Amino acid sequence: MPRHKTDLSAESYDYDDDYEEDDGMTEDDRRQMKAALKQVRQTIGGDIPGVTDADIEETLWYYYFDVEKAVSYILKKHTKASKPKPAPKPKQVVVAGPAPKKDDVGQGFGYGFGARTAVEAGYFLDAPWGNVPTERLGCLIEQLPPVKMGLVGGSGGPKTSKLAALAKARKEKKLAEASGAAEPTGGKPLGVTKERPSISLLSRLSHKSSASSVASTSPSPTPEPSAGRVTPILTTNTNINDKDKTPIGSPKRLQDLDQPRSPVVEEEKCDLKAFKEDLALKAVPSSFATSMFGSRLEFEARFLWADTKTFDILTGKEAAKVQQGFSGPSPDDVVETAQKGMGGAKAKADKNGQADGKGSRDSGAKTAPSPPPSPKLPKAKIDVLKAYGESSEKDHVNFVVVGHVDAGKSTLMGRILYDTGAVDERTLQKFRKEAEQIGKGSFALAWVLDQTHEERSRGVTVDVAVNKFETEKTVFTILDAPGHKDFVPNMIAGAARADFAILVIDASTGAFEAGFHLRGQTKEHTLLIRSMGVHRVIVAVNKLDSVGWDGARFEEIKQQMAQFLSNAGFNEKDIAFVPCSGLEGINVIKKPEEGVIPWYTGPTLLEELDITTKYARPVDKPLRLTVSDIFKGGAQNQPTVYGRIDSGYLQEGDVLLSVPNKEQVTVKSIVINDEPRPWAVAGHNVNLQISGFDELHLRAGDLLCHPTSPLQPLKCFQLKLLAFETLTPMAVDIHRGHLHAPGRISGLLQTYDKSNGTVTKKKPRHVAAGNLASVMVELVAGAAIPVEAGMKIVLRSNGQTVAAGIIEK
Amino acid sequence: MRLIKREIDRVDGPGSVALMPEEPEDMWHLYNLIRIGDRLRATALRKIQLNTSDTGSSKSERVRTTLTIVVNKLDFDPQAGQLHISGRVCEENQYVEVGQYHTLDLELNRKLTLFKDEWDTVAVRTIQEATEVGEKSEVAAVVCQEGIANLCFITDHMTVVKQRIDVAVPKKRREGVDGHEKGVQKFYAQVYTAMLRLFDFSKLKVILLASPGFIADGLKKYIFNTATTQGHTLTLQSKPKFVVVHCSSGHVHSLNEVLQSPEVKAKLSDTRFARESAAMDRFLQMMTTDENRAWYGMKEVAKAVDQGAVGTLLVSNRVFRNDNVRDRKRWVKIVEEVQKQGGETMVLSSIHESGVRLDGLGGVAAILTYPLYDLDEAEEEIEENANRLERPGEKVDVEEEDG
Repeated sequence: MPRHKTDLSAESYDYDDDYEEDDGMTEDDRRQMKAALKQVRQTIGGDIPGVTDADIEETLWYYYFDVEKAVSYILKKHTKASKPKPAPKPKQVVVAGPAPKKDDVGQGFGYGFGARTAVEAGYFLDAPWGNVPTERLGCLIEQLPPVKMGLVGGSGGPKTSKLAALAKARKEKKLAEASGAAEPTGGKPLGVTKERPSISLLSRLSHKSSASSVASTSPSPTPEPSAGRVTPILTTNTNINDKDKTPIGSPKRLQDLDQPRSPVVEEEKCDLKAFKEDLALKAVPSSFATSMFGSRLEFEARFLWADTKTFDILTGKEAAKVQQGFSGPSPDDVVETAQKGMGGAKAKADKNGQADGKGSRDSGAKTAPSPPPSPKLPKAKIDVLKAYGESSEKDHVNFVVVGHVDAGKSTLMGRILYDTGAVDERTLQKFRKEAEQIGKGSFALAWVLDQTHEERSRGVTVDVAVNKFETEKTVFTILDAPGHKDFVPNMIAGAARADFAILVIDASTGAFEAGFHLRGQTKEHTLLIRSMGVHRVIVAVNKLDSVGWDGARFEEIKQQMAQFLSNAGFNEKDIAFVPCSGLEGINVIKKPEEGVIPWYTGPTLLEELDITTKYARPVDKPLRLTVSDIFKGGAQNQPTVYGRIDSGYLQEGDVLLSVPNKEQVTVKSIVINDEPRPWAVAGHNVNLQISGFDELHLRAGDLLCHPTSPLQPLKCFQLKLLAFETLTPMAVDIHRGHLHAPGRISGLLQTYDKSNGTVTKKKPRHVAAGNLASVMVELVAGAAIPVEAGMKIVLRSNGQTVAAGIIEK
Repeated sequence: MRLIKREIDRVDGPGSVALMPEEPEDMWHLYNLIRIGDRLRATALRKIQLNTSDTGSSKSERVRTTLTIVVNKLDFDPQAGQLHISGRVCEENQYVEVGQYHTLDLELNRKLTLFKDEWDTVAVRTIQEATEVGEKSEVAAVVCQEGIANLCFITDHMTVVKQRIDVAVPKKRREGVDGHEKGVQKFYAQVYTAMLRLFDFSKLKVILLASPGFIADGLKKYIFNTATTQGHTLTLQSKPKFVVVHCSSGHVHSLNEVLQSPEVKAKLSDTRFARESAAMDRFLQMMTTDENRAWYGMKEVAKAVDQGAVGTLLVSNRVFRNDNVRDRKRWVKIVEEVQKQGGETMVLSSIHESGVRLDGLGGVAAILTYPLYDLDEAEEEIEENANRLERPGEKVDVEEEDG
C-alpha cells in the first residue's frame, strides 16, 4: 500500500491552493498522461469497481507513464483485497524510528507482515504447535518490517526517472517558498523526506480528500505500537507457562516453544532470574517422554538460530544485557540439570553462565544447519566438566578379576556379590539346587556371574561378566574375566575397561604352580594387565582353606608373586596380598573368626578394595568410547551400545561418530549402573540408547567419538612393543579392548636397549622375547581399525600373547 | 591336469607341452607355469567384424577359433578359479591378423599348448606336480570364533576363503542371556546356510570345524540338529567327515594351526601342506633357538647358498612368477644349486597358509646346516655401497624390464 495514501497531507498545508497554477507537470506530461489513462482504461476494462481515473493517473505518474506496470499494479491492488485502505499502520511509524539493523532480518517477510500481525495477536495459539513448520515458527520472533521505499510492485523501489526528479526538485522549491518550514521533517529518514513532495503531488492528482485519511504523523517512534506488538507474544508466554505447570502435553512441543520464546521475555524486561527460578519449580518432561520424543538436537539448533535473530533486533545496551544473560545455558537446561539431582550448587553455577571452549565445540557437533556464528553462541548444553567436578556422587571404579583357569575368580566374585547383598538369598538357593542337580554344587556362587548354558554346563567362564556392588565410598564394577587360555581375547576386552585388577591365585597344592609355569595364565594375565595400563593389583590368595590356612604356603606364594610382579613392572606399593577363601567366604567381606588365620591381621579383600585412590580420568581429552557390546534392550527394545568411555565425556543428545564405519548416531539416553544420567565422563561404563544407526554397521570393538574430534582409523601403524615371544615378520591378531583384527608384522624397525632406551639394532631379523622394539604392523586386506597414537595394543599369535605395546604413529 | 604331449628335448632348451586343465586348481598351476613372453595356443571366442554388404554396413559375429598369442599379462582370480591371459596374436588365421590383441580365458577341459624358449627345472617340476595322478585332497574348513567365521576351501596348493561371516553377537549381560543365546544360534544358522551353498559335502574328504572354546562344538551340534529336523540327508551322510579342531582364533591365519593338528593329519591322504607347514615351523623355531642357522630374505639366503650352508631351502612360488627374468633365472639357479649340494628344496604355494607366512618373510628362507654369522651386516655395507653407486645414474633397473 503506497505510503502517500496514509501519511500524506500535512494538516498545515492546503495543496489545493496551487493546484491550478502548477502541479509539477509540464504540458507534455499532461498529454502523455491523458493518452496513457485512456490506454489503461482500455486494458483493465470497466469491470473493476473503485478504480478511479485519479488512481490510475497517480499510478501512471509513479511509473512515469509505463502503462504496463501501472496496469499490473492497479489490478493487483484492486483485485487483491478488502483491506481497509485508510487504516493507519502503526508499523510504518516504527519504520521511522531509530533504524534497526534491517539487513540481518530475513528478506523474505517483505510484504506479508499482515499475516504476522495475526501471529502476534495469538492467532495460532490453538494450532497444533508440534506440526508447525519451521518457517512459521520463525514468525513468532519479533520481526520488523523492512523499510518500505516507494511502491511495492514492478518498478523496484524508489527509483525515479530524470523527469520525475526534475519535477520533484521543482516542487520542493515551490513548497519551500510557499510554506516556509511548515513541513515537519525532523527525525525522518532522508529517503522519506525526499519522496514526500512527489507523493503529495500525486495525491493531488487523485482528487481525493487527503483530509479524510487519518493524519497523525508522529516524527518519532511512539512507544505504544511497539508495546502493542509485544503484548500478544507475552500472552503466548503465559499460556506456555500454564502448560509447563501441567505437563500433559508432549514435552517436545514445550521445548519447541520454550526455546525461541525466552529472548522475547528478556525484551519485555522480565526479571530473567526470577523467571528461571519460577521455571525451576515446574515439571519438566518425564524421562519417558524425553525418550519418546527424543532428539533435542533439531530444536536446539533452531534455538540458536532464533537467538541470533532476536539479538539483532535489540540494540545497544539492551542487546548487551541479553547477550550477557544468555551466555550461560538456557533456563531449560538449568532446570533439567537441577532436576536431575546433580546438586543445587551446580545448577546455580550454570546459571551464572560460563561459556567455555568445550561448549562451542559441542554446538559445532550438530548436524542441523549451523547458525551464523556472529554473536558468541550460548551453550545450550550442560557443562559436563563442571558438573563432573562438582558432583558429589560416589566414585565409579572398575576392576578386572584375572587369574589362571579354575582359580576361583567367579566364585570369589559371586561371594562378594552375595555378601554385599547385591544377590539375594533366594536366587542363590536356586543356583545351589540347580548346580547340585548337574553335580557341580561348588559352582553355585560362580553361577551368579556365569549365566550362559555353556558356561554353567562346562563350569568355565567364557566371556567377561559385568556386575556392580557398592561400598560406602565407591561404586564398584566387577569385570569377571575368563581364565581359560582360549578366552584370553575376552579377558583382554575386560582388562581394557579396568582401573585396577584382582589377581586370584589358587593356593591349593600344585594349582598355583600350574598357573604360574611358563604357559600358565597367571603369568600371561599379569603381563597383559600391566601392558594395558593397570598399575594396581590385589593378589587374592584363594582356596587357602584347602591347605588348612597354612601360613607358610601363603608366604611362599607371596614371595614368588612379589618377585614376578615387580619384574613385570608393578610398583611394590601397588601390590597387596590378601589370603581368602571365596567358597567359604572367609576374609572376603567378613573378618575371619578368631583363630582361623592367626598369622594374618591385615584387611579383608573388601577393605583392601576400598583403599582405592581416586583415579585421574582423562576427562578433558576428546571423547573415545570403545564399544564392547551392541544389543536391543530396555522397555522399548531400543538399540543399546555398551562400552567404556576411555577419555572425554558425553551427554544426552550428543551426536557421535562411529569409527571405522563413519556412521552418525544420536545418544538418546545414558544409563550408568541402571541409573539414567544426563551425562557421563571418562571411566564410566555406560549403556547408551542410541538412534540413527544400522545395527549391522556397528561392531564390538568399534569406537565412538565426537564428529568434531574424530579418530582416523589406521591400516598400518608403528608399534613400540615389548616382545613376549620371538617376533619375526608374521601374522598376528591385533587386540585392543573388544577390538580384534587379523594383521601382520610387516617390518621390524629397530630394537632398543631396555635400560636406557637407545637403539641397539636397526632392521633386526627378529626380536627376541623380552626385548623392546619398534615394528610396523599392517592390517590384512587393507581393513582399517579404530586406533590412534598412544593406544595400547596387544598382539597374539597361535593362542599366545606375543607382544604388547603402544602405537607410536 | 592331463599332459597330452610333451616336446621338451632337454632342460633349459626350447619346447612345448600340451595340457588339459581339469579342475580349478590347475588354473593355479598354469598361472605359475605361464610366464610373460611365452607363447600360448588355446581355443578362444572372438568377436569378428564381417563386411557383408557393399553399403558399408557391417555385422559382427562371435566365432570359436584357435589363437596363438605371445603372453604379456596374466590375471588370476583364486576365488573363481579363473585365469585370463592377454597378449598379441602371433600366428595369423582367417579371422585375425598378427599383432592383434586378445585375452584368452582359459577353460577347463579344453586343450592348450604352451611354448617356451627355455624350460627351466622349476617349470618342469611344476608340470610334474600338476600332472601327478593320484587322490587329490579336498578339504573344507570353517575357522570360527563367536561372531566370526571364515569358510575356506583347501586343496594341495591353494587355500581359498570362500566367504567370511561377521555377525555381532550380543554379550551376556546381567539382565539375562537371551540376547546372547539367540545371537549365537543366528550365527550358527548363517554359517550352516553358507556351508550348504558353498560346499559339496559329497566330494569333500574332510570338513574341518575349528575354533577356540566351544564354538566349533556348538556349530557341529547345531548342524546335525538342523539336518535331522529338516531332513538334509546329504549332511547326515557326511557326518563322519566332520572334524572338530581347536585353534586359537577365528581369523584365517590360524588355519596353519588347524592343518597341523593330528586329527587333520590323520584324515588326509596327502600331507603336502602339513609338511610345508612343519618346515615353516621348524624354521621359525630355529630362529628362536639358534638364530644363526635360520636366515630369511633374498640377499642373505643367496649368500648362504654361495657358502654351501643351506640344508633346507624354502621358496615361495611368487619368486618364480617374478616378471624380472634375471631375478627369476637367478633363483632357478639357486634352487638347482641347493639340490646339487644335497639340500632339500621346497617350493611353497604363495596362496597356501605356509606360503603366506613365507611371503611375510620376503618369500625366501633357509635352514642352514651350520651357523653363519652376520650375513645381514655384511649385506648392509654392500647395500650402502650400492646405494652410493646407484644414486648418480638410476638406470640399473630399466634394462631389466623387458624379456
